[in-house]
Amino acid sequence: MLKSIKEKWIYLVIAILLILIPFDWFLGKYNTLMIFIGLNTMVTVGLCLLMGYTGQVSLGQAAYYGIGAYFSAILSKTYNVDPWLAMLIAAVVTGTFAYSIGYLIFRLKGNYLAMATLGIGIIIWILFRQLSQFTGGPDGMSGIPYLSIGGFVFDTPFKRYYLVWFFTLALLFISQNIIRSRTGRALRAIHGSEDAAESIGINVAQFKVKIFVLSAVFASLAGSLFVHHLRFVSPQQFDFLASVKLVVMAVIGGLASIWGAIFGAATTNILSDELLLNFGELDIVVYGLILMLVMIFMPQGLFVKLKEIIVLWRARAAEKEKI
Amino acid sequence: MSPDQFFQYLISGITQGSIYALVALGFTIIYAVTKIINFAQGEFVMLGGMLSFTLINAAGIPFVPALLLAVLSTAVIGAVLYILAIRTARKASVVSLIIITIGASIFIRGIVRQFLGVDSVRPPFFSGDESLVVMGAIVRPQALWIIGTTIVVTIILHLFLSCTMIGNALKASAISKIAAAKVGIDTRTMALCAFILAATIGGISGIVMAPLALTSYNVGVMLGLKGFVSASIGGFKSPIVSVIGGITIGIVESLAVGINWGPFTSSYKDAIAIVVLLLILLIRSGRLATEERTA
Amino acid sequence: MDKLDLTIEEGIITAVIGPNGAGKTTLFNLIAGVYSATDGEIFFQGKRINSIPAHKRVSLGIARTFQHALLFGNMTVLENIMAGQHIRSRYGILEAALSLPNAHREEKAIFLEATKYLNLVGLGMEKDREALSLPLGRQKLLAIARALATEPKILLLDEPGAGLTTIEKRALSDLIHRIIDMGITVLLVEHDMPLVMGLAEKVIVLDRGQKIAEGSAAQIQRDKKVIAVYLGEEAEE
Repeated sequence: MLKSIKEKWIYLVIAILLILIPFDWFLGKYNTLMIFIGLNTMVTVGLCLLMGYTGQVSLGQAAYYGIGAYFSAILSKTYNVDPWLAMLIAAVVTGTFAYSIGYLIFRLKGNYLAMATLGIGIIIWILFRQLSQFTGGPDGMSGIPYLSIGGFVFDTPFKRYYLVWFFTLALLFISQNIIRSRTGRALRAIHGSEDAAESIGINVAQFKVKIFVLSAVFASLAGSLFVHHLRFVSPQQFDFLASVKLVVMAVIGGLASIWGAIFGAATTNILSDELLLNFGELDIVVYGLILMLVMIFMPQGLFVKLKEIIVLWRARAAEKEKI
Repeated sequence: MSPDQFFQYLISGITQGSIYALVALGFTIIYAVTKIINFAQGEFVMLGGMLSFTLINAAGIPFVPALLLAVLSTAVIGAVLYILAIRTARKASVVSLIIITIGASIFIRGIVRQFLGVDSVRPPFFSGDESLVVMGAIVRPQALWIIGTTIVVTIILHLFLSCTMIGNALKASAISKIAAAKVGIDTRTMALCAFILAATIGGISGIVMAPLALTSYNVGVMLGLKGFVSASIGGFKSPIVSVIGGITIGIVESLAVGINWGPFTSSYKDAIAIVVLLLILLIRSGRLATEERTA
Repeated sequence: MDKLDLTIEEGIITAVIGPNGAGKTTLFNLIAGVYSATDGEIFFQGKRINSIPAHKRVSLGIARTFQHALLFGNMTVLENIMAGQHIRSRYGILEAALSLPNAHREEKAIFLEATKYLNLVGLGMEKDREALSLPLGRQKLLAIARALATEPKILLLDEPGAGLTTIEKRALSDLIHRIIDMGITVLLVEHDMPLVMGLAEKVIVLDRGQKIAEGSAAQIQRDKKVIAVYLGEEAEE
């Protein structure tokens, strides 16, 4: 359901860029960074859809990333399950879990819903720490196998870059297709007015749960890929701060925006790497500032606001040309 | 568990619960007046403790003035938080406000971490650390300070709300912003007062608990969460219920650690408050769903 | 609502009138399922619908509009109407995600159907405008088109004439007649007496949750109870 020729050209250019990046003569030294940007984009796009279209915040999204990661790790390492199958099982488990709690928590409103997501995220984190016979406890697990197709093993960052971005782009396109469809219209209707949406037959509660499950599954897939990249998993990677970071990415990217998710993930990852390198521990100060400033001055998200500014600029430039 | 042990755990639970109670008071005050959940409430407690340590141990300021200064600074920070972050956000949605206060909380945490380090610190005890024996249980004097402070703060707050002009105005705003505005009460001033009050109480609880429980840049998260749970028991409406809620959670946590069986172990202690929270939310949501639309 | 017993006749325009607070919107909310009846029963085409949630009643054929239009401000005029076709189409997330051919086919059908309703209410020229950029009168037409897109058997219009100019009210009147010609029953709540009297084949008068009169427009205009209730309201002012 692509909309225009201009759009197809943009996709082509982006595709070419993305294909060329991991080569050493281009931007190959950023492979690992790009892998993390891709993984974070996968989680962020789900979060953007959830927060943008149901108008609710999820303060525990890292937990679903973690469930995907741990299930993949445990099944593929401890039980020697094929990593692809493990990834599928992880996604199903996460989705089922999200579905079962979804109806319960989406009956709550605003603050209470936020707290519920926070509480659930923390409980899952505690379980990661405490169920050490499975998860390796606070020290985590290592030695997780690589993913492979046939004899081809994804054992270098170069190969994994393509793997991760294949999934990232797939999820982005899927999200776009959904938003442009009847389902997307229903979601936008809910976002516009829940009462009116209900009055045209849309089961608002069910949709909120569906989007929540979608966001959890996206996060789970990303978590599985993460673990087959880093080959190490520990509870620290999925704590409250990790969930906050995801919210930062979503907020920068724009709450109902799909492609903005890449922007949000990229900015945050690059920023956090820079900060850690040069300023030691200032990363959470900056995250806090970003969250406050963006939500106060541009609640629709940084990316969306930037697009607006560019449009205004162009309009003014066009005006000047006339004169 | 023997009766002596039970009593020991009970005292310890009441002590810890008193802290939660004070945090809960802060949540309740701000929510009642502004309908905002201040996710940074736990950080006020953290600030009280960290500042008192810095002022006394690092800057060498005498004991009592340092404590007063710590509480005062926390109150000021609360005011600044409201003015800069919340008031400027004006017509922000509930979700936006949640994210803003979370942003504020991690910002404050980050600043403290940057300037005061990551280590756990302990300011001096108020009256030494010679344990007393009360009814067969060993009680540290600071614990009595904690429990005492909570009682005093609760009483003073109650008197403040009932007997002073500002207090009455706050209560009125809590009942109905619109009605309060009609009698000339400025809602924004009331909101500022609520924040200052909550920050002050937070700071006080911070200075009184830090000597006993240690403090570091990180303590705000869990305290905030448990304070939130305590306040939500009373629906964020009644200060008294919030206090009772806090002490109850403290006792339940302590007894669970004491029982040490099945899931009730010290490693799962933090999960208890969360499970309580989820249960409360479950019950509330059930009631919300049915009471909302009947005619 | 207080011991209300009424029957809406199929195929005609029925108006519900009454002083403020009489319970007219409450009645709508009960029929639409937004409120649950604590006592009593609601039947639609012979079927008891008390326990059917609001969103399911729409597929049974009950559609409604709101006093304040409640348009989807984040969509265009046409998209609002297409949203109304939601329950009359089937394809789900999976087909959408994978961009399958039957999804495309159904989208096209939705587009065509929605365009029909768009033209029916006379908004053809504005189909790509942002919904909220329309003037109030046309916003209300859009709301009606959106409700019609759910292919209802009965349409509940909540104060469709409020805020409309005389010309717009005439256009509204014509539209409602066209809706009846399509075989859809219309139930409307209105304050504008001339509009009601000109349109309605049957009028029901409510006061304080009770039905105090029922009949043709001419009949209830002469009804003493009705006059008293309205005079009473005037006397209060």
